[in-house]
Amino acid sequence: MTHLALSRISKDFGGATVVQDFNLDVKKGEFISFLGPSGCGKTTTLRMIAGFETPTTGQIIMDDVEITNKAPNQRNVGMIFQSYALFPNMTVAQNIGFGLQIRRDSKEAIKQRVDEMLTLINLEKHANKYPYQLSGGQQQRVSLARALANRPQVLLLDEPLSALDAKIRVQLRSEIRAIQKALDITAIFVTHDQEEALSISDRIVVMYEGKVEQIGTPFEVYNFPETRFVANFVGSLNTASAEVTDPAKGLLNVGGVQFVTASEIASRKKGEAIRISIRPERFSFLSEHKKDNVLDCVIENITFLGSVVRVQVKIGGASFNMDTFNNPFLELPKIGAKEQVTCSKNAVLVLDE
Amino acid sequence: MNLTTVKKHGGKIWAWFWMILGILYFFLPLIATFLFSLRAKLNVLSFTAYQHVFNDSNFVYNFSYSVLWGVLTIIVGVLIFVPTAYLIRLKLPQFRIPVEFITMLPFVIPAIVYVFSLVRTFSQPPLLIVDSPVLLVAAYTVLSMPYMYSAIDTGLRAIDVRTLTEAGQSLGAGWGTILFRIILPNIRVAILSGAFLSFAIVIGELILAQYLVKPAFAPYMTYLIQQKAYEPAAMAIISFALTWAAMGVIQFIGRGSGGGEQSQIAGGH
Amino acid sequence: MTVKNIVEQGAPQARPASKKISWTWLGLTPFFIFTFLFLLYPASTLGVRSFQDSRTHVFTLKYVTQLLHDPYLLGAYWISIKISVITAVGGGIFGFLLAYSAIRGGLPRFMRSSLMTFCGVASNFAGVPLAFAFIALLSPSGELTKVLIALGFNPYHHGFTLYTFWGLSIVYMYFQFPLMVLIISPAIDGLRREWVEAAENLGASPAQYWRYVAFPILLPAILGAVVLLFGNSFGAFATAQALTGGQINLVTIVIGSQLRGDILSDPGLGYALALGMVVIMAFAIIARALLQQRTERWLR
Repeated sequence: MTHLALSRISKDFGGATVVQDFNLDVKKGEFISFLGPSGCGKTTTLRMIAGFETPTTGQIIMDDVEITNKAPNQRNVGMIFQSYALFPNMTVAQNIGFGLQIRRDSKEAIKQRVDEMLTLINLEKHANKYPYQLSGGQQQRVSLARALANRPQVLLLDEPLSALDAKIRVQLRSEIRAIQKALDITAIFVTHDQEEALSISDRIVVMYEGKVEQIGTPFEVYNFPETRFVANFVGSLNTASAEVTDPAKGLLNVGGVQFVTASEIASRKKGEAIRISIRPERFSFLSEHKKDNVLDCVIENITFLGSVVRVQVKIGGASFNMDTFNNPFLELPKIGAKEQVTCSKNAVLVLDE
Repeated sequence: MNLTTVKKHGGKIWAWFWMILGILYFFLPLIATFLFSLRAKLNVLSFTAYQHVFNDSNFVYNFSYSVLWGVLTIIVGVLIFVPTAYLIRLKLPQFRIPVEFITMLPFVIPAIVYVFSLVRTFSQPPLLIVDSPVLLVAAYTVLSMPYMYSAIDTGLRAIDVRTLTEAGQSLGAGWGTILFRIILPNIRVAILSGAFLSFAIVIGELILAQYLVKPAFAPYMTYLIQQKAYEPAAMAIISFALTWAAMGVIQFIGRGSGGGEQSQIAGGH
Repeated sequence: MTVKNIVEQGAPQARPASKKISWTWLGLTPFFIFTFLFLLYPASTLGVRSFQDSRTHVFTLKYVTQLLHDPYLLGAYWISIKISVITAVGGGIFGFLLAYSAIRGGLPRFMRSSLMTFCGVASNFAGVPLAFAFIALLSPSGELTKVLIALGFNPYHHGFTLYTFWGLSIVYMYFQFPLMVLIISPAIDGLRREWVEAAENLGASPAQYWRYVAFPILLPAILGAVVLLFGNSFGAFATAQALTGGQINLVTIVIGSQLRGDILSDPGLGYALALGMVVIMAFAIIARALLQQRTERWLR
């Protein structure tokens, strides 16, 4: 059952096309992320749903009603801004009650709803504080409560976590997801952070230069990227040029070293130049479990990333990143050491040019 | 066309309306003065009045003195207020409120009142300096203090005083070097803006020079208004053009170096 | 760099804190000496002289009593206050609309920087030259008057003269509204776009946005600016003097005539009048402070 439908949406700004032929059907209660680098049109699309921008062509339909050209204050959508956008002259309670006050709800009704919302975001004690007295995370929670107080049909979140500290970001992210699930509200979440999108969403819309690159679950988008952009943007990725040496057996020459791939290259000619990609976590140091590719390498660099250690290795003429889990009892190789790494042939993907 | 765009277009028409009204208010008196100043010769427009003004040795005399007072005022102001504002920003924030209060006082005390209390105070021993140009320059410095000080303070706010100072210290610079070779060049736009405002105040200030009996532009112009018709108009245009040029210089120098617009502060009367 | 150099540079950091404080104190002394000598001390004599007979130097209340009972003097205060309130409110409204149009009205960008330059010039274009400019424009033989007469409307036949209260108000507006533009622009800049959008998103109309959000946010800045404008016009002297030659009985002009030292004048009364002005300004500032306390609880 479609709750919100965007069909053939485009947006031009003075000749430049910012969003091009955007199509999306959102189900009730679904959590959708728009993911892409800045300038990819994700925020513009969100703002068209909110009514702050008008699509040049296309339609936006919510619960079978066309809202394409409705004014923002005639739509029932809730918006959360990156900069919180709390009204500085109002207390937390006044901010949350603002929409209800505009709707001319009774005083008691407003108070009851505000209290409900304060409980929801766990800020009961701060009802009479002004925004400047709150931390960034608290302010963003108030802004969430303010948007939800009006019982919107859709919740729109424009990079709501970008201005927060790393730790708060992760915490608030799961809080937002929990509230969204509890209220069974449809949410659209704009972000440039792939980890955020992967962790929070039911489905992700990956955008690049105004176009939709891929729509899919986090699992699909990460493991089966449909375009080179998605492969590069979501997660980290090694790419290298390769030469087909044996199409039938899937053998490749990558910088003077032989690789084997499970990707279909039977149709390719011997000697054809192609590009391959391998995710860093698919490499591992050589143990008793030998994989399809056993590769001699030199350790070039080691970066400690917390739970993961990223090792840069030189295999023949090409450099690759390899991720290995951090284990304090495991001794890492020294820079410059000669090692062997391995990866399965399934991990070696051939990219469409 | 939806509601939002209708609203935006309506707003734009009003914006133009107010701007045009503002421009008219601003330019009409100037155009009128200019036209008037060209009517010195019967039935033809000419620059005769301007010729008279520039050939008038009294004008040159009085105007040169005003320029001199202006320059001295700026120098004294910079020497006193830059170190003060700098120290308060860097080391003595507890003095911010009293010092800012004092710098705003000339705004509260009407100039005429200030001038008379000044004349009274300094016309009896041991402070008998009412005839000295020192008093005039000091008084001009006080009158321009609200603008000069806040221009400098705005300038200092725009740069990272602490980091610049610490960088200077770590490179072995002494206080004098830090203040005059690092801080001063970095707030030159703000200082210039304060300087030109001070200059404009000195040029336009009437009572001070009048009651301290010193040669200056404004009293001379007042005197001339009672004597002649077209020359004062020419002088008004000249003084306006000078103020305008000064503002133009601020904008020009401020371009690209940032903070030029913000450090522009209005003058008073 | 030699070892000696390094040691010398390290030295200031190693000094005890008390020495640093004495040094920084020294830095502020020129300022305090200067302002005490040329501002605080002379201004403080105002209070004393208002209660001192000009000839005998004996303590007296006669000036203050005269001030409170003489209808001529009270009238002068009243006219000064009236013109200051009218031009502060009028200039405040017009200046605000101009600044808002230039900043948020969707006009080309250069309009804004031009307006700021105009205002920087105009707010400093006062006194004698300003008076003269309006004489050239609106006096009976002024350029605009001539145009209006040619169009069949002589303002001087409809009760208008440049040399009276309303004429002077129009002239004062010339430096009042640009001052407002300069003071209020940063506050308008501080109005964030997200606030409009958040309000709209929550169902508010533009009018409701102004009533509940923008106006309350701007109010402290507007109040502060209007009081500044009030003071700006309250203390003005040269413009009125040059325009009307002392015909309009503003407090500053009355003070000027009392202090000038001719036979009819009494400096003591002049000082008392001046003290009255300071008291009125102080009231304006206190009123503003009280209002601001109520309106800016939400400010840091």
